[in-house]
Amino acid sequence: MTTVTTSGNGTPLILSRGLTKAFETIVAVDGIDFEVRPGEVFGFLGPNGAGKTSTMRMIGCTSPRTGGVLTVMGMDPATDAVRIKSRIGVVPQIDNLDIELTVRENLEMYARYFDVPRDVAKGRIDELLDFVQLTERARDKVEPLSGGMKRRLTIARSLVNQPDLILLDEPTTGLDPQARHLVWDRLYRLKQRGVTLVITTHYMDEAEQLCDRLVVMDKAKIVAEGSPRELITRFSTREVVELRVADETRDKARDLLDGVAERIEWLPDRVLLYTEAGEALLSRITDEGIHPDSALVRRASLEDVFLTITGRSLIE
Amino acid sequence: MSATDIVVRNGHVFWRSWRASFFLSVLSPVMFLSAMGLGLGSMVNEGRTFGGVDYLSFFATGILASSAMQSGVFTGTYPIMSKITWQKNYEAMLASPLSVREVFLGELGWAAVTLTQLAVPFFVIMTVMGIFHTWSAVLAVPVVILVGLSCCAPVMAFTATLQTDEAYTWLFRFIVTPLFLLSGTFFPITELPAWGRVIAQATPLFHGVELVRQLTIYHLGISALWHLAYLFALLIVGILAGFRTFEKRLMP
Repeated sequence: MTTVTTSGNGTPLILSRGLTKAFETIVAVDGIDFEVRPGEVFGFLGPNGAGKTSTMRMIGCTSPRTGGVLTVMGMDPATDAVRIKSRIGVVPQIDNLDIELTVRENLEMYARYFDVPRDVAKGRIDELLDFVQLTERARDKVEPLSGGMKRRLTIARSLVNQPDLILLDEPTTGLDPQARHLVWDRLYRLKQRGVTLVITTHYMDEAEQLCDRLVVMDKAKIVAEGSPRELITRFSTREVVELRVADETRDKARDLLDGVAERIEWLPDRVLLYTEAGEALLSRITDEGIHPDSALVRRASLEDVFLTITGRSLIE
Repeated sequence: MSATDIVVRNGHVFWRSWRASFFLSVLSPVMFLSAMGLGLGSMVNEGRTFGGVDYLSFFATGILASSAMQSGVFTGTYPIMSKITWQKNYEAMLASPLSVREVFLGELGWAAVTLTQLAVPFFVIMTVMGIFHTWSAVLAVPVVILVGLSCCAPVMAFTATLQTDEAYTWLFRFIVTPLFLLSGTFFPITELPAWGRVIAQATPLFHGVELVRQLTIYHLGISALWHLAYLFALLIVGILAGFRTFEKRLMP
């Protein structure tokens, strides 16, 4: 259904050098460099306000850049917006479906904006409704649909022009776990067809599940880059012990825990101990007389990477 | 991907409820013309004429242009704000190959359709009432569409600068209503004090009303060119301003 266009061997689909976006009072994106390769799922991970959406809008040609170099499929958004936009699909952070139209009409009207011939659009829309499991709701208005259905319709809408590149800004924010997994599944299928996906998210599990490579953004800058695994190896230990300690024993625990792990993070609600062997560490600290309210041994995640780099949690 | 897509989209939505809309665009001239034109007219006609015509003809031609102004202004307010702010239709459209200018011109094109839908029934009813005596009267239809567009474009441009709809209360109360009352719709502006006449002559509605009357019930004079030029100029200024404010708002 969707075809890949690679713009030459090894040429990045998106290339950014010193990309900057400044508004009157703030610098939203401060000189970032990144490359997105054809066929990969590329992520921007970071907290709200890190500059992810501004970056997406510059790629999508709906916000002019203030400085730096940006090419999308070898073209410059400043001069080739129409040609670039005709080859990308956009799933915005907040659904902007046309609530005055039905599900099917939303796709038909959008196909018109892209100059897809009517007879071609018809078959394609049938397929897309099937792909996002909305065939039975085709004649319904948009408003009564659930959050997950609206998201799926927005994804279907982003595919009416058979894009080579899809930009998804926080694709599953606000969805319940079941709806999220359905969206992830559909995105994974698109990736298998060779479509390049660029995703922003502040969910570490989403980034780990979907992204081949990602950059971590904080305060308008890129602070780390790599595959999820690489980043975890580079910035964290293999495992993490999470403890909840009652406030009155916190000071005592602080003394006792000093030096037991490679690194210790004291968060307002819990303590994170970074170690290669979690279970062993946990039994050792219980032996030393620390009895936390709860204890959990888990694999390190991108959340830990973010915490190590910035000293803050992703979701505040 | 062109401005006509916007017209098609709006037309598609409009088509579902066209009956209500058409009913209103027939009902409102009938009500205005019978209540004000005939009712009030029977009182003011006593022993006087309005430049050689009766009050119904004078008033009907004025209210035709006024209705177009009001429709044009309204089209530039809530429907546009909704698509910028609440429903974010434009955000979705601009992610497609459509450009900001196409979106703006498309909405203006749609305003022209709604104005036609207002002007034609109005004109037909006036013809039936025997107000027109010349063929040139039919030119009043494109002229009032122009009046509506000249008012719509600057208001659309203004809408793109607003964060909330509060300013509309002021727009309607302090601009639209005074224009409606004082631009020569109900009485000739020669009845106004000198300063009032100067202000009236600066407003688009005055030029619209004058032009319509020259084409329909009075003689066409050289001043028609000036009125026409004024309306076109306002339309062009409105479009250029709209390009700027839409771009600033929608492509931050």
